[in-house]
Amino acid sequence: MTKSHILFLNVTGIVMFLLLWEVGGRIAGENLLAAPSIVVFEYIRLLFAGDMLRELVGSLRQMFVGFGLACAIGMPMGALMGRIRLVDALVHPWVSMVVVTSAAALAPIFILMFGTGFEFRVAIVFVSSFGYVTLTAYHGARGIDPKIIDVARSYSTGPVETYRKVILPALFPYLITGARLGLVHATRAMVMAEMFVLVGYGGLIFQTGQDLSTAPLISYLVTLMFVSVGANMGLGWIGRQLAPWYDSKMSAG
Amino acid sequence: MSHTSGAAALERSGDIARMRMRDIFSSSWLLYLLSVCAGLLLWHSISTQLPGVIFASPFAVAEHLVGAMAEGDLPARFLNSVRHMLLGLVLALLVAVPLGMLMGRNETVFHMCNPVMTALFAVPSVAFVPFLILWFGIFYEARVALVFVMCFFDILITVTAGARNIEPRVIQAARSFGANRRIMFFGVLMPASYPFLMTALRIGSIRAINGMITAELFFAAVNLGEYMEDASAVFDSAAMLSVVFLLSLFGLLVQELVKWSEAKLLPWHVRD
Repeated sequence: MTKSHILFLNVTGIVMFLLLWEVGGRIAGENLLAAPSIVVFEYIRLLFAGDMLRELVGSLRQMFVGFGLACAIGMPMGALMGRIRLVDALVHPWVSMVVVTSAAALAPIFILMFGTGFEFRVAIVFVSSFGYVTLTAYHGARGIDPKIIDVARSYSTGPVETYRKVILPALFPYLITGARLGLVHATRAMVMAEMFVLVGYGGLIFQTGQDLSTAPLISYLVTLMFVSVGANMGLGWIGRQLAPWYDSKMSAG
Repeated sequence: MSHTSGAAALERSGDIARMRMRDIFSSSWLLYLLSVCAGLLLWHSISTQLPGVIFASPFAVAEHLVGAMAEGDLPARFLNSVRHMLLGLVLALLVAVPLGMLMGRNETVFHMCNPVMTALFAVPSVAFVPFLILWFGIFYEARVALVFVMCFFDILITVTAGARNIEPRVIQAARSFGANRRIMFFGVLMPASYPFLMTALRIGSIRAINGMITAELFFAAVNLGEYMEDASAVFDSAAMLSVVFLLSLFGLLVQELVKWSEAKLLPWHVRD
């Protein structure tokens, strides 16, 4: 299938989706499902009104603190778990537990512990992205081909050099993938936490849900989608820039 | 001569000792126990630093769990929660699995649906809550709908990726032996799909459990959500942590169950 053929199918799919949405929106009415023709104008209005972008930037800043912490702790921990069996055995059950724990169930407890401000959101984002970052780094570290480490050893490379020149580059694609996965969950957690305490961007979403028209609500969701897709593509781009072997390593899955 | 063999024997006994140590350390049950104890100890030491109303110790949580279990209130609520979770999960599986297979095996359908599905997947499912309130109210239907939305896209993405990655050589081999469409579907494509269908089931059920408690906290507070809100109103952190602990344990159990049945049912599919 040629590239132009694929592009044609992509565009056809999007147009069909928009048409269906338009028809559905016309039938259901603006207060149940605003049609895209209405949403476009509302979106442009909100974009220039400034509220949407201001809240978004504020929320994202807090999210990145939690997400950064999760990466800073999760990546080395995952790497250690993958290389040292005892660490793996001690930590793995709890990391699995963190992964399956629902962030929403933790929200009421975290409110008691941290209040509803900055720390609360950082903690929720941290807990829900930490597990994914750690486990991806773990799988990367475990899957390092022993042969390449043997080669380094037979050239009598020291442990620090081996780590810097062999293990870290082999791990790198997994760290980026873990960050991409973690970011998806960080965004989910951020919106959930903010909807719960009615602050920031999530609060905006929840409160506009009570409006008569669903057009602003859909506009907020569209922005969220752009941010999420953009961040994911950005991380992929960074991965390719920093490690040209990223794609070849990750194309399998 | 005797000297060297003695040294070798010594070395061997050292090896054996080391091996025995390794056996002890790699005996998974002991390590598992050690890990659980270490975690509980850490939890306990953190909880002693904080006031009890904010963060209960594991002993307080255990005490609360035993009491609530004996009373029968908590298990009854749990069962009620699981009921709407199961309905949402089954509905999501019924829609997402065929759609994912279609998207995975048909290039035209894939390229038509992929951009829209990626865009919808990028929106956090919780953000659909205001819509679900408008469409389904705040009771049973809304809870099922949220569970559906929360696991639908994860299942769809997993199934699509899995179906696209079915080894082409397997299909080519079947074709060169003249397999007809029926054999191709039941004899080749279906067995090749079981592994990623299991993965989809595992991810979907974790998401569904997540959706279940989210729904109960965001819509009308019922079952476990009500239990948590009541506990938070009186600053009973032991009760709240009990619910979280129970949910995590349940999620872990479901995940291990799916993994275990995968190993039993699909022994040819090796996973680390």
